[in-house]
Amino acid sequence: MASLGANTIAILIALGSFPVSLALTRFFMYWNSKHGIIGIDVHKLNRPKVPEMVGVAVPITLVLFAAMYAMIGGASSIPLLAYSLVVGLDALVGALDDRLKMRGIFKPLLTLLCGLPLLILGLAFPGQVYTSTLHVPLFGGYHLPVIYPLTILVAVSVTSNTVNMLDPLNGSMAGGISIVAGGLLIGSILIGAGSTPIFLYASLMFSLLGFLYFNRFPARAFAGNVGQLSIGASVGALAILGRTEIASIVAIFPNIQNSFFFLSRIRRFTEHRELTSKPTKLLPDGRLADSEDPRAPLTLVRTLLIGRPATENEIVSTIWMLFLTSTSLAVISLLLTGVLL
Amino acid sequence: MNTRAVGYELVVFVTQWGLMLLGFGMLTKFVAPLNLLNPGLSLGLYFDAGAKALVALVLSVTWLFIWDRQVRLYFHRRAR
Repeated sequence: MASLGANTIAILIALGSFPVSLALTRFFMYWNSKHGIIGIDVHKLNRPKVPEMVGVAVPITLVLFAAMYAMIGGASSIPLLAYSLVVGLDALVGALDDRLKMRGIFKPLLTLLCGLPLLILGLAFPGQVYTSTLHVPLFGGYHLPVIYPLTILVAVSVTSNTVNMLDPLNGSMAGGISIVAGGLLIGSILIGAGSTPIFLYASLMFSLLGFLYFNRFPARAFAGNVGQLSIGASVGALAILGRTEIASIVAIFPNIQNSFFFLSRIRRFTEHRELTSKPTKLLPDGRLADSEDPRAPLTLVRTLLIGRPATENEIVSTIWMLFLTSTSLAVISLLLTGVLL
Repeated sequence: MNTRAVGYELVVFVTQWGLMLLGFGMLTKFVAPLNLLNPGLSLGLYFDAGAKALVALVLSVTWLFIWDRQVRLYFHRRAR
């Protein structure tokens, strides 16, 4: 009962991240518009101007609430500090990329370094940030004293960049990762995880929902790299802190498919804006269609459009349904972690 | 919502999920317990970890290859 009480309090505090994220999103929409930080929604016929980098509201909310939770003594401050540093550093890399338009290779390299707080604090405070044992559904687990710490850096970089790559349409990233966070929150509660990952998953989900209110179709705010990278980093850091490594990989299957097919066709790290062959095209009736360009990457959106043009809303609903499917499998994976063959 | 695409992706995801659990199971039951090099040797622990990581890498590449073939089979037959 004590655990249930701590978890309930954690979720109730995290609920506050929804209005804070909503208010911050509204503020940055105004501020960024005023300062000319705007992007063009290329998937609409009238190509509306939309404030960019508004996703910064999410990492600010996440760090703010992690600090607040540590201060009221809800949990040990070490994992919360590690989490906040990872999210903050990734937001910084994203902001730099948004402003300086760095070459595609720099993002994966710089985000590799963003996992360092988890690694360093984990080594300095053993057992508080991560344990080197990987828990495998149905098969028990195994200890990885050398590989696990190194994998942390790769994990944060991969989740940051893969989330960054699947935000082509209004609400696709914010809605998809809300579903992932919500599913892993439910799974963590069901397996009796500690209150820290439960609080962090809840605050990620609620802050994303606050942002999604303005990012959903037709979008009035774009996340920008600052939002996408930090949200991806949050998923990666939580996989380590919450011991949900395998379940997190399963939950982001749509992101993995999108990134893998993008990279396997392009064969290098590059930015969408640098692509000469586009995967989709906008039809005169406002629907999106497969570009049929053999040199263009086989992105998830292109895959969903083969032989059947669709409206942006319809594609985003399909992407959310894919996230719901993968997250359901992730929750089953978490439940199977305690079951041994 | 494109129900046909969701149906195909469901097949892909469930297959990849099953293969992933199987792969991690193989690593847990067969690869991890192996002592490929004596940990008492200088750097033995690291070479042992490196060899096991290589096995995991081969399994990951095979897993991605199967994913690639599935998506191409269900979605991109006409595109090719």
